[in-house]
Amino acid sequence: MNRLPFALTIITLLSATPAVSNNVVGGEENVQKSRALPAPVDRAVEFRRDVAPLFKRRCTRCHGAKKAEGGLRLDVAKRALEGGDRGALLVPGKSAESLLVLVLTGLNDEELVMPPSGKPFTDEQVGIIRAWIDQGANWPANEANTEPSKSDHWSFRPIVRPEPPRVKQSSWVRNPIDSFVLAKLETKSIAPAPEADRGTLIRRLYLDVVGLPPPITEVDAFVNDERPHAYERLVDRLLSSPRFGERWGRHWLDLARYADSNGYEDDKYRPDAWRYRDWVVSSYNNDQPYDTFTVDQLAGDRRADATYEAKAATGFHRMTPSNEAGNPAVEEEYRVKTAKDRLNTTGTVWLGLTVGCAQCHSHKYDPLTQREYYQLYAFFNSTIEINVDAPRLPEKYYEAYRKAKKEFKGHINNTPEPPSAVALTVAEGLDFRQTFVHVRGDFLQKGVNVAPKTPAFLPPIKVRERPQGEARADRIPVVRDVDRLDLAHWIVDPQHPLPARVEVNRLWRHLFGHALVRTPEDFGVQGEPPTHPQLVDWLAAEFMERGWQRKATIKLIVSSATYRQSANARPEIEERDPQNRLVARQNRFPVEAEVVRDLSLSASGLLVLALGGPSVQPPLPAGLTEQVILKDERFREEDEGDERFRRGVYTNVQRTFPYPSLLAFDSADANVCSTRRDRSMTPLQALTLLNERAFFECAQNLGHELARTMLSQAVTTNVGASDGGVNGSAIRKCIKGAIHRCLSRSPTSTEIDILVRLFHQHRAIYNSAPDAAAKMAGSDAVPDGIHATDVAAWVGVARTILNLEEFITRE
Amino acid sequence: MSDTPKSVNLTTARDATRRAFMTSAASGLGAAALGSLLTRDGMLADDTNGDDQFGGTIGTHFPATAKNCIFIYLAGGTSHVELFDPKPRLTELTGEPLPDSFLRGEKRLSFLDMKKSKLMGSRCEFKRYGKCGMELSEHLPQIGAHADKLALIRSMHTNEFDHGPAEIFFSTGSSSPGRPSAGAWVTYGLGSENRNLPSYVVLITGRSPVARSINWGSGFLPTETGGVLFRSQGEPILNLASPAGVLSSAQRAELDAIQALNRERLNAVDDSKIADRIRAYELAFRMQVAAPELIDLKTETQKTLDAYGTERDGVEHASFANNCLLARRMVERGVRFVTIGQRRWDHHGAVAKGIRHCSNIVDQPIGALLTDLEERGLLDTTLVVWGTEFGRTPVTQNSDPDKNAGRDHHRFGYSMWMAGGGVKGGKVVGATDELGWRAEKDPVHVHDFHATLLHLFGMDHLRLTYRYQGLDFRLTDQHGKVVKQVFS
Repeated sequence: MNRLPFALTIITLLSATPAVSNNVVGGEENVQKSRALPAPVDRAVEFRRDVAPLFKRRCTRCHGAKKAEGGLRLDVAKRALEGGDRGALLVPGKSAESLLVLVLTGLNDEELVMPPSGKPFTDEQVGIIRAWIDQGANWPANEANTEPSKSDHWSFRPIVRPEPPRVKQSSWVRNPIDSFVLAKLETKSIAPAPEADRGTLIRRLYLDVVGLPPPITEVDAFVNDERPHAYERLVDRLLSSPRFGERWGRHWLDLARYADSNGYEDDKYRPDAWRYRDWVVSSYNNDQPYDTFTVDQLAGDRRADATYEAKAATGFHRMTPSNEAGNPAVEEEYRVKTAKDRLNTTGTVWLGLTVGCAQCHSHKYDPLTQREYYQLYAFFNSTIEINVDAPRLPEKYYEAYRKAKKEFKGHINNTPEPPSAVALTVAEGLDFRQTFVHVRGDFLQKGVNVAPKTPAFLPPIKVRERPQGEARADRIPVVRDVDRLDLAHWIVDPQHPLPARVEVNRLWRHLFGHALVRTPEDFGVQGEPPTHPQLVDWLAAEFMERGWQRKATIKLIVSSATYRQSANARPEIEERDPQNRLVARQNRFPVEAEVVRDLSLSASGLLVLALGGPSVQPPLPAGLTEQVILKDERFREEDEGDERFRRGVYTNVQRTFPYPSLLAFDSADANVCSTRRDRSMTPLQALTLLNERAFFECAQNLGHELARTMLSQAVTTNVGASDGGVNGSAIRKCIKGAIHRCLSRSPTSTEIDILVRLFHQHRAIYNSAPDAAAKMAGSDAVPDGIHATDVAAWVGVARTILNLEEFITRE
Repeated sequence: MSDTPKSVNLTTARDATRRAFMTSAASGLGAAALGSLLTRDGMLADDTNGDDQFGGTIGTHFPATAKNCIFIYLAGGTSHVELFDPKPRLTELTGEPLPDSFLRGEKRLSFLDMKKSKLMGSRCEFKRYGKCGMELSEHLPQIGAHADKLALIRSMHTNEFDHGPAEIFFSTGSSSPGRPSAGAWVTYGLGSENRNLPSYVVLITGRSPVARSINWGSGFLPTETGGVLFRSQGEPILNLASPAGVLSSAQRAELDAIQALNRERLNAVDDSKIADRIRAYELAFRMQVAAPELIDLKTETQKTLDAYGTERDGVEHASFANNCLLARRMVERGVRFVTIGQRRWDHHGAVAKGIRHCSNIVDQPIGALLTDLEERGLLDTTLVVWGTEFGRTPVTQNSDPDKNAGRDHHRFGYSMWMAGGGVKGGKVVGATDELGWRAEKDPVHVHDFHATLLHLFGMDHLRLTYRYQGLDFRLTDQHGKVVKQVFS
């Protein structure tokens, strides 16, 4: 309840001694609970003999190196003299004004009586402490009270580039990554897995780098390419494809909590969010170095030369959910919530730390105090939201608008809105907002005033040289001391031990399915230690030395022998290393939600590859809108034509009701920064792949494709004359082609047999059900010259292949 | 975790055994077996004891009294003043301003302007129900008939007063999105009892609660712990029916081929996850039969249909009745957690009329549900909850206390009730102050309610944890105490 600054409280208390009265709310109660201030003892007090034992016995368990409750430590002179989150603890020479004495006697606000349990300090003990303070609070230096080293935790140590270790089987090593992995394997006498075959490798590379299946021609060319560096050329080609940015940009959007809606109650359409998405995609495609990629997102608006792109990058901070309850009582509450979200997300994304844990109390495990949390928060506390003009959209959007407007003429309601051309960005507000520690995380309970500052356990922040008149042109006030831009520079300073490690770990995870630090969101004390600590550091050092270039680093990783291993299980080492922490093989794992969609669309020939632009609304399952309100009309209007077949990354993300077929495959929760997705196996996924409109359309389209192929290969395709002979071999050939197309490999003869049997079963079934056959075939696009029964059978074969576990798995 | 005592009735399969089974099932289950499963699953009632259900990860910490939950989620904020918490003193003071002492300097109020808002006594009469003489609204006679089974908590309170955050808080224990819902926690802890249906099902009448799927989401828990939204008309589950043209024999043939090919791959690469996928397809196939059977009310007698009122006038009336009946059918079939959602209770204006209308929608079906569960011997193990994210202000919302007056959102004190599943009926827990403003006697915070709910399922809210982003999360965050009065 007591929200007065402590200094003021103390004065109030003093002016009214001994019977404290006219205090703030609850003052009267305090008088009853508290007692008169005991007199200081009348003798010389020696800290080590008289005071230190009291602290040690009663205080330092909570206010020591391990916990530092309330940001306070009583085991270190310097920290004790600094005080805690509520302010200074000691006023040397003035014990009656010292917070320490007030809390020991309960003469402070009612909630703060120390120690919180056990007997209170006796009058004699308080008297000793008073005397010590009155005599100058002398705290002699000795080895016991110098501050222990900040933290010896591995990820907080500077990155020192390790030498790749020596290995026995050096012929296996393609680059230094392999030395680190192999050295560890050799200590366990485990040999690496053999290299995967070329079909697997090209499919793996395609899925990992661009998120699409390789075209058959590419597979064949690669499998037969005997020239040196075929693999490297393939990698280069994929990295320079615009599909790369769509694939890897989506990984980043998970972290940025990207959505096309506001979240919370109204969850309205957020029409301009995609500008940030497009910025991310093009930044990946242009291979923008990670350091400027970082600086732009965190503080592009503060750059002296801020371009449109740099400002659009700050859309990162605009991806927070926003509550539009229209209620002034909560405005400040949500402003604070949003600013904290920005800080916490920044902490997770770049520092790999759960900084948000220090909102209410000092971090339980990491050396981040609550005060330090609010010092970081101060960097975001004056940030405001502002929209800037964005480049005009392609003409087709304006045409569509003009057309819609014409159609709506006469209707007063629902007049279509013209396409919006702004980007969501942030800037510093004109008013610099003072920051206080929020006692127990409650923004209404103001603790000590803090300035922007970075935590003590990390390298110090540097204040950049401010060119004359910086930002004045925009009438943006020059923020005191340090600002968000300095913070951004601090994050990407090569001396900073965390961001490079955190990012290479994520790159690794996307290329192996598991990260080297298996808790990519937590590099702190509670996180898992790396499986290959030296490799993490080597990659981090390499990453920075290569100018923070992600494409080069990805190429480095995928070029390693480690990456090229087969993913097949190795029963002989399964028991010793069930989670494949040694990376004694590649991993096999389901592809992400968007890739599931892209795979089906691509394999069936429906995918429309267009880069960027406003998000699209592909068809929704029938009847959905009746029950769950898709609050904003935009989410109910299904797009038509090509827009229905865009890649998953362009599908509207509505926070409270994610697109069902993406949700079924564990798409990221857009409400929070998401560092790793689930990989569930549920019946709803099966139902989606089997029955969802869009996926069935894919099966139909692929079925038509197969029917056409058969037509071109077989002389006759009459129903009933289908066993053996020309026809039989045409069917087998077609099936072989289909597997080849979808799985990038040749089928076994058993596999072909299974599908041939299915084909004949379907022919028999649909031969006697022509109406069903027509529906199964899909009436609009049945190829000429082929019996509907055959088309229906091919649709069945296609649907089967598109539902295979292997089809949606990256091996 | 593995050595904690388990109660007899609950699923205790752990991950390891589950994996082992899956692998063996995958290799052993041929196309023919799949076909026979399908036939057998035409009748599901006694097929709830298979050993391959989705296993609970935690199991119980002590014997449970509840096995299933029907969570009636009446979003918008049901008025405790009209429905559950009679306050003669409030009626006497109607028209007066709220004394400042009640406000205690509170600034976080919703839309209230305290200068314009007046105290307003209940706009409905209260009646005594049951042997216990519990006082409830005149508009809840059929629920009132079960007063001796209800534990009415009159001292609920919560942190939030806007619908979105308050719903999310009430459902997940945190006001920011991202945490698992209570139903997901229960499902995570105990697993499923039915291998043909999802373990957590959601049914919605009319408008959905505003935070939609977050209310039943799995948060960071495994996806299969989240609620699956059933639709009350047409297909009960999205994408359940095969597309037009896919005959059931063709569907069978394709499924057999998919599974056969998946097994080929399993043999080739030896990845146990392929076995998981095979199982998921089997379950999907079984759901295609089980779910339509579940929502097909043909086997219910006319008496039952009439008792619930499934053919009542009014779309919402019939839909809510339907959902209550479906909830019973789900519980019968072993669905662990059912949420019945409806959002109609946000009575900022004309609260008298609104309460009468809404009570009329829900009273008969809920009363019938309690009767039906009892008659079938299910009430002892089925927890039924009347839940809402907050109550309503004992003052009007910025108006005189006339017939158009409404009430604003209110978080300091409100009412909910629980029944069945080990709940001790006929009792009132806690109390608000004389004006119904603040929970005064034995306050029950949302966290306490969650702790109590888990307790009834045999789980200790302190020990039901999940490690995410380096921290052990709980439904009750860092709070929560079990409200023993509810069951003792």
